[in-house]
Amino acid sequence: MPSPGARSPIRQIVNLWRGHSAYLALGALLALAALAAGIALMANAGNVVAVAVTGGVILVPIVLQASGAARVLLRYVERVISHDAMFRALTRIRIWFFNGLAHSAAGGLGFRKAGDVLARLVNDVEALDGLYLRIIVPGLCAVLLLPLLAVFLWRESLWAVILILPIFCFIAFILPLRAARLATGNTGQTGIAMAGLRSSALDALTGLREVKIFAAEGRMLAKIQSQEAAYLAAQRDFARESSRLNSISFLAAQAATLLAILLALIFTGASPLAATIAVFVLIAAFEATAGLPRAGILFGQAEGAAARVVEAATTAPRVTDPESPAPLPSSNALALEHVSFRYAENLPYVFENLSLQLPSNTHTAILGPSGAGKSTIAALLLKLAAPNSGRIRLGPTDISALPAEALRSRIAYLSQSTHLFADTIRNNLRLGDPTADDARLWEALAAAQLTEAIHALPDGLNTWLGESGNTISGGQARRLALARTLLSPAPILILDEPCAGLDYATAIEFLKTLNVATKNRTILLIVHRLTGVEQLDRIWRLANGSLMAATG
Amino acid sequence: MSAESKAWMAAEQKRGTRASILPVALGTAQILAAIAQVFCAAQLLSAVLLPQSRQWPVICLYTLGFIGFALIRAAAAHRAALAGFERGAAARRRLRNGVFSSLLANGPLNGGSRGRHSAELASIAIDRVEAMEGFHARWLPATILAIIGPIIIGLAAFWTDWHSGIILAVAGLFVPFAMAVAGIGAGVAAKRQFVALTRLQVRFLDRIRGISTIILAGRAADEATALAAAADELRRRTMRVLRVAFLSSTALDLAAAAALILIVLRFAGLLHENLIAVPAALFILLLVPEFFAPLRNFAAVYQDRMAAEAASEEFAGLPAPPAPVPAAEIRSVTAHGITLAFEDVSFAWDAARGNVLDNLSFRIVAGDTLLLTGASGTGKSTIIDLILGFIEPAAGKVTFNGAELKSLVPAAREKIIGWIGQKPMIFGGTILENIKFAKPEASADEVADAIKRARLTEVIAALPLGLETPIGEAGFGLSGGQAQRIAIARAFLKDAPLLLLDEPTAHLDPAIERDVLESLKRLAIGRTVILATHSTLAQEFARDTGARKLDLDAVRLAKLRGVA
Repeated sequence: MPSPGARSPIRQIVNLWRGHSAYLALGALLALAALAAGIALMANAGNVVAVAVTGGVILVPIVLQASGAARVLLRYVERVISHDAMFRALTRIRIWFFNGLAHSAAGGLGFRKAGDVLARLVNDVEALDGLYLRIIVPGLCAVLLLPLLAVFLWRESLWAVILILPIFCFIAFILPLRAARLATGNTGQTGIAMAGLRSSALDALTGLREVKIFAAEGRMLAKIQSQEAAYLAAQRDFARESSRLNSISFLAAQAATLLAILLALIFTGASPLAATIAVFVLIAAFEATAGLPRAGILFGQAEGAAARVVEAATTAPRVTDPESPAPLPSSNALALEHVSFRYAENLPYVFENLSLQLPSNTHTAILGPSGAGKSTIAALLLKLAAPNSGRIRLGPTDISALPAEALRSRIAYLSQSTHLFADTIRNNLRLGDPTADDARLWEALAAAQLTEAIHALPDGLNTWLGESGNTISGGQARRLALARTLLSPAPILILDEPCAGLDYATAIEFLKTLNVATKNRTILLIVHRLTGVEQLDRIWRLANGSLMAATG
Repeated sequence: MSAESKAWMAAEQKRGTRASILPVALGTAQILAAIAQVFCAAQLLSAVLLPQSRQWPVICLYTLGFIGFALIRAAAAHRAALAGFERGAAARRRLRNGVFSSLLANGPLNGGSRGRHSAELASIAIDRVEAMEGFHARWLPATILAIIGPIIIGLAAFWTDWHSGIILAVAGLFVPFAMAVAGIGAGVAAKRQFVALTRLQVRFLDRIRGISTIILAGRAADEATALAAAADELRRRTMRVLRVAFLSSTALDLAAAAALILIVLRFAGLLHENLIAVPAALFILLLVPEFFAPLRNFAAVYQDRMAAEAASEEFAGLPAPPAPVPAAEIRSVTAHGITLAFEDVSFAWDAARGNVLDNLSFRIVAGDTLLLTGASGTGKSTIIDLILGFIEPAAGKVTFNGAELKSLVPAAREKIIGWIGQKPMIFGGTILENIKFAKPEASADEVADAIKRARLTEVIAALPLGLETPIGEAGFGLSGGQAQRIAIARAFLKDAPLLLLDEPTAHLDPAIERDVLESLKRLAIGRTVILATHSTLAQEFARDTGARKLDLDAVRLAKLRGVA
């Protein structure tokens, strides 16, 4: 729930459209013009017929043809422009969404499900188009119609204004507002159900191997079907409610038309001509506003969708950037000073009062059993987490005073869960350095002992890697990630278990290459054990929350 | 459209036609009520224009008629909308069930799923199935009503004033003609829209799964640009589809406006000279919007048809679930453990890259362990995938106790095999849920036992929430070793007679690797085991247990020597 002072999600979304406001306004203006032409057409048609019947003089009805042509043309242009403007605005939201997500997810998605985040990007953003196309634009049309209608009804009789205008207001304003208020109770049920459906579908399809091996097909299908049932149930509620509102607005419109006719019959003072025109205009006016009551519940959905989009895009990162950042120092020496850290209040400290120096151009290794907190040191150095006490310095500057992005530009990090993307080998490597040419890519591949394997592929560097790199073997995938890290121009390398999954001979070759290739870089090697070929300046062993000097 | 998807669409259409009787009946009722209501309105309005001819009882009658027919229309429309939703929902349930049944039955490397991103598969099962909604909920009845409706209303107009009837008929015929012209290329546009939507989803899902890697490499801005390009492509493709739809409805607007203007102009002269009755003229005039309403509905659902056609390619292309195999030989297969044999098995992932396995033969007797070694890419994982039945040998056969693997019922095969891979799939949920994935009906004691054997007891005891500790997708909150031990606990729970271990200790440190290998040794007792590994420790362990060794490097070398 947003705090009372915070801007509502819908507001935030609408604010994002500022850049497209001229285009969006043009769409709305064209919609108004098309509506005016439609009203003119119907009013003229009524006028011509009524004049003919009552025996008046018929003027050459050029207005009739002109308004007819204008209506057809304006309607087409309006639709194209308003939709195009809307979709541009949605694209903008999607980019904003990704940037916001990137801001908070430097350490990964955590407990968030990828399928849920995907549903927000695709379905929830899509649901926002109704905000402009089905709510704002028709709403503006209704506002324009109100005085127009008042004039036409006034010409018939005062009673027509008093009795019929409220019916119009009921359909165009009261019914939609009430529907919107009622819909806020279960906002975004459809969106939530769709996210659940996407998540379970992705679980079953990403884990297809495990699903088959553990004979979980039936269970997975059952879960998908129950999510689908929830989705369809939410949609059914929506369909039933919209159809009910459509019926009400249809009947109210019919009642208004009938009333316009009957009033002309009852009050002999009313002009038959004006009454006929009023009836024709009413028909056109109600056609233009028929969708508004339904738009009311759509607003409820859009509100839910906006909340889900804004929530995912504005999650605060674990470590926030300083308000007034210090300049990035030239030094590449890192130091932890009396650092204590735990992941949560109710969890024990990973380590307390830990100090470690990583001077420029030195090679350091930290050894220790899994779970000792070796990777946590890397997370702290990268500002993925902040120490509970103590401080970490880059050169003379406390890294808490540095923007995370600037700090990370100095560090290349190979984590245990480094991701390979569904893209070509070349593009995967270039994530390390987008400017690298093929010669440099091959150099990095050679260092990672991959030259032969990639040469053997018919498409070489253009080979497409499947999902998470699953078209190549686990060991090759690991070495590719390694090559990518080596390509980075960053002066500090943190390699977390670089040789996991490599066979012994390959690992030895790689470590020898590493000694040579990284002479002028600062290296922090995080490993379970040493092989003996590493050339290291310092070796530490992390156990029970403290570091001890060790020999290889 | 390909022949396959044409046949598929024809079958879908046949289903839809049967279900369309009720909505068409309701639609026809709406049209008839509309004609009657318009008639009442025309009578009332002419009473307004001709004060001399007012008869109050008649006016009352028409007023009641107007109200009654309006109520009938509203009720029929409401019923039709609800019934339409249910048809669309039923079709989506059926189609989605079909897609998932096919994908789940065929496995990760077969038919529809091999080499495709899970986001792409999910997009078929979700977005393309959703795209079929309009086709079943609205398209078929709307099409039938777009023919029936204008004919009935046109006849009513013709009967009143044949000139106007002809004007409406010509305008009405112009609509499908113009729509057909506007719709040229619509099918291709709809297909491209799907491609763009899928591309955006695959890109986004893939990138958010690796978002940490992107951010730490400082490439978030570049990724945002690439995403923007994908999102913008979706916009352009969507606009192209919509433009077709807008052109169709513009054709309709044009026809409707032209018909209205022509009829007004015609009547203006006639009325002036009293050549036509006022109620008749008003009747036809008010009938014009009703005449175009079914056509308007048709134009609105025309893109549903296009979307369905575009979606059909993927549905028609999905392989049917494999035919059930008679279960005759199962009992003899599992009686005394599993003896596994490869007989002259060859397999190639890609013909251009040559065979990974070339006439490979080996045999492991029930209860024995086979150690598979060889450099990356020599086919260790391929052998395991063949045993899992995810792929089939191009030549030769794989047998369990002499029975060919292909001849086993999938359910029986799944019971026989346990597997631990390099990276286990961890689902978002609790630790308990992830372990029980192997056997949902497992008792608390069974789970506790599996946890103990996988050496997870202490790890779990140290967590404040214990077994109920939530873990994220891809194992967030667990170390690589802990994730692997969850996979081992799953294997203990499953308790299968044949155990496939694909680099099970790749991410563990020596102390824990030894521990886990001890657990695996216990797990291996009485089972047939294949262990594919690079790890020296694991190899030593296998040798200690008297495992036979199959060195794929040596096999390959021998082949090369043989050729030379």
